[in-house]
Amino acid sequence: MIAVLDNFWALLGLKVLAATGVILTVALVIIFAELKISAHMQSRVGPYFAGGRYGWAQPLADAVKFLQKEDLVPRDADRPVFKMAPMVVLAGTLAVFVIVPFSPDLVVRNLDLGVFYALAAGSIGTVGVLMAGWSSANKYSLMGGLRAAAQLIAYELPLVLAVVGVVIASGTMSMVGIVEAQAEPFFHLGDTAIRLPYVFQGQIVGFAIFMIAMLAELSRTPFDMPIAESELVMGYLTEYSGIRFTMFFLGEYAGIVAMSAIASTLFLGGYYFPGLDSATFGPVVLLAKIGLLAFVMIWFRWTFPRFREDQLQSIAWRWLVPLSLVNIAVTATFKVVF
Amino acid sequence: MTTSPSELAERVAGIVGSDRFSYDNGTAKVHVEAARWVEAHEALGAEMPYFSWLSAIDWAADVVVGDPPETEGIEPRYEVLSCLGNVETGDSVVLSTDIAKDDPKIDSLSGVFGGANWHEREAAEMLGIDFVGHPNLSHLYLPDSFEGHPLRKTYPLLSREVKPWPGTVDVEPMPEEEGPSTENPEDTG
Amino acid sequence: MTSADRQTLSMHHSEVQVSVELQTPDMTLNLGPQHPSTHGVLRLVARVDGEVIEEVEPVIGYMHRGYEKLAEVRTYSQITALVNRIDWVSGFANEIPFMVATERLMDLEVPERAQYIRLILTEMARISNHLVFLSSFPLELGASTPLMHALRERERVLDLIEGVTGGRFHPNFNRVGGVKPAAGGGSTQKKVIQDLPKGFLDQTREAMRYVRDVCDDMVDLVLGNEIFMERTKGVGIIPADRALAFGVSGPNLRASGVPFDLRKTDDYLPYSTFEFDIATGENGDCFDRYAVRLEEVIQASRIVDQAVDSIPAGELRAKVPRVIKVPRGEIYVRAENPKGEMGYYVVSEGGRGPYRLKIRSASFSNLSVLPWLLKGQLVPDVIAVLGSLDFVLGDVDR
Repeated sequence: MIAVLDNFWALLGLKVLAATGVILTVALVIIFAELKISAHMQSRVGPYFAGGRYGWAQPLADAVKFLQKEDLVPRDADRPVFKMAPMVVLAGTLAVFVIVPFSPDLVVRNLDLGVFYALAAGSIGTVGVLMAGWSSANKYSLMGGLRAAAQLIAYELPLVLAVVGVVIASGTMSMVGIVEAQAEPFFHLGDTAIRLPYVFQGQIVGFAIFMIAMLAELSRTPFDMPIAESELVMGYLTEYSGIRFTMFFLGEYAGIVAMSAIASTLFLGGYYFPGLDSATFGPVVLLAKIGLLAFVMIWFRWTFPRFREDQLQSIAWRWLVPLSLVNIAVTATFKVVF
Repeated sequence: MTTSPSELAERVAGIVGSDRFSYDNGTAKVHVEAARWVEAHEALGAEMPYFSWLSAIDWAADVVVGDPPETEGIEPRYEVLSCLGNVETGDSVVLSTDIAKDDPKIDSLSGVFGGANWHEREAAEMLGIDFVGHPNLSHLYLPDSFEGHPLRKTYPLLSREVKPWPGTVDVEPMPEEEGPSTENPEDTG
Repeated sequence: MTSADRQTLSMHHSEVQVSVELQTPDMTLNLGPQHPSTHGVLRLVARVDGEVIEEVEPVIGYMHRGYEKLAEVRTYSQITALVNRIDWVSGFANEIPFMVATERLMDLEVPERAQYIRLILTEMARISNHLVFLSSFPLELGASTPLMHALRERERVLDLIEGVTGGRFHPNFNRVGGVKPAAGGGSTQKKVIQDLPKGFLDQTREAMRYVRDVCDDMVDLVLGNEIFMERTKGVGIIPADRALAFGVSGPNLRASGVPFDLRKTDDYLPYSTFEFDIATGENGDCFDRYAVRLEEVIQASRIVDQAVDSIPAGELRAKVPRVIKVPRGEIYVRAENPKGEMGYYVVSEGGRGPYRLKIRSASFSNLSVLPWLLKGQLVPDVIAVLGSLDFVLGDVDR
């Protein structure tokens, strides 16, 4: 057993399999949470029958149903691109998890440039969306894809700039390093060391910008224009069915998990929680934080209408980018002065 | 606030320069000459800027659908109607004009009231009236290839040819309603 | 396959290709007849440059049922069943102007109690219609939760309408000279006068309280929402003079600042005995159209409360001959329907059915302003404007 683990490729394969399994499971849980939470927000019951109690197996049942459906490809579609697009989206999302640390040791790869890698890998999904929109041979899909591309370009910048504040404060780009930096005492109150995550160490603005940009990157309400079912039917998803639609769907929720994990790690202390042993409780702590952020996203989705693209662009360029630049300047100043 | 129908009809008749008006059943109706149709609307537009609707009636003595008119000697013609209103006083008046059946032509109101556009398209396809000067007199409801003008009294209703009910046919009386007791006030339920 | 066919097939590629000089050819976008936001089967053929609408041509008629022709071969009592299918969201209100026109031609005096019942149910139809609008308009802007909240209270109102008339959407409840004895009073119990169901008045008062509650929710959840304001304020402005020239009526006209309400000016039902305000907007944009309808629900519930408190006892139907024949004459009766002015021009030649029935429906005129209104808008605004006009295709096509 141990001998097998010594082999680099075997270990890598095992890690990838385990991470994929965990992430998709968490994504299914979040899908279920969304079904139930939205139902209760709207005075409904939500799923009720599948699985016996509380309809807990509804996401599985949905997935099985989708798998049985015919995999339709429009006659005029660009077939290879059309078929590849959902895989690109899902793969790009899963790739992010390579650097997410669930505990000091439980990490696929602790890259020195972890933050940089995460932001780069997180953008691959949008290429997939653009591919889907372009190749579908459908005007609504095309408009959805173009909207997604415009959205990505606008919100990638505030997302990166918001993270720069954290990187400056911690002095490292390694995800594990950033968590460790947040585990350091912030100040001492008498003999008690006060340990605070970055969101309470003055990065609250950065956190807010990151959350908004994250919603836009994930095309979640109020930034769900690429799908916008009342305008573009289903946006870039219009022509997809069966397993490819499922992959988009899972990719969307895996994306929520991925971005929540990054946000938790950068701003909320990741796997670290004061008083709990990180090696043992790390995964639970991180999952709890992911759940919290996912809940906020679900809450937004069922409360807000959606913006128009020009409003989305003006928020990004006129508010978020200047604000995040100010945030960087302030953070850097404090870092130098204190 | 609202003017009585008789006063209203008389006043509007004065504005549009006509001496044929009526106010039966509380509906003020003023008849204008077809040649002065657009002119009359322009004159009335200042006081009655609210364009409610426009339509037409096919007056015919012999009809292939529905009950024939009881009045003797109806003069066959198309009567074009339009309804204007004043939103401050709540007045509303119907303007009407007659056009000949063999050459159903009248000037379009779409230049005076923007809303007349669709109403005229509807009247044109349903009754075959040509609105001269209309920007786009294509079919509004019916398929482009549709032939005939359904609201003309000469246009048969095919479903009625096949099956007379429901409609104004006499069906056999219900068991409890023997005999035609048409004026029995007890039987109104 | 001819080369022309092949060209058509590859149209979607060539249309969006960007040439070296950066000429971006216009694209024809076909919204509908099957599209989530066209409320049935409206089709908009739009020429778009990116997301900007350059020209839009509404194509209607997919729901055309030829009621004006059908009415010529129906009797007056059969036409009731037709007209409440014109605007099926507020079916009851459609019957009123037609019945009033018939009764006026016949010179019938409708008993006061019947008039009150008509009035209460008409206002309930208005509430149910507006609640559908208040819930579905945010949905078009991407907010789905108001839908559930408003529809829940609408269900109470529909239940009450069903309790009286036997139908939720198509009541077919009015008779020439009054109303039908309430559900359950069929021909076997002819002598037993069936009136409003037991407990109807109390349940109505309770339902009106719930309706006002949900209106408060809507004010907080929708009207006060920043994103909602961003999306609707200044979007789709209809100036008052243009609204009048296009025959735009009802809440859409009042949102443009014209306090025109047929309930105040005409006397087709005894509205003059009740206190209520005409809700008006200022700018005539989508936001005002939403706010006006929200206020109208509250006013309608006020009217219902007053009517329930003061409903007189008495007959439900005037004495009418068994076979209804309407004397010769012409009449135009219009009423303030939830969607705007609904009118019937009835031409009787003395038969059992009308010689000609012109149906003036609100949505038709409200929609005719679209080509002008949508020019230069963005695609998302098209959806907002469409939703804010509150039309039903049955009311457009008839």
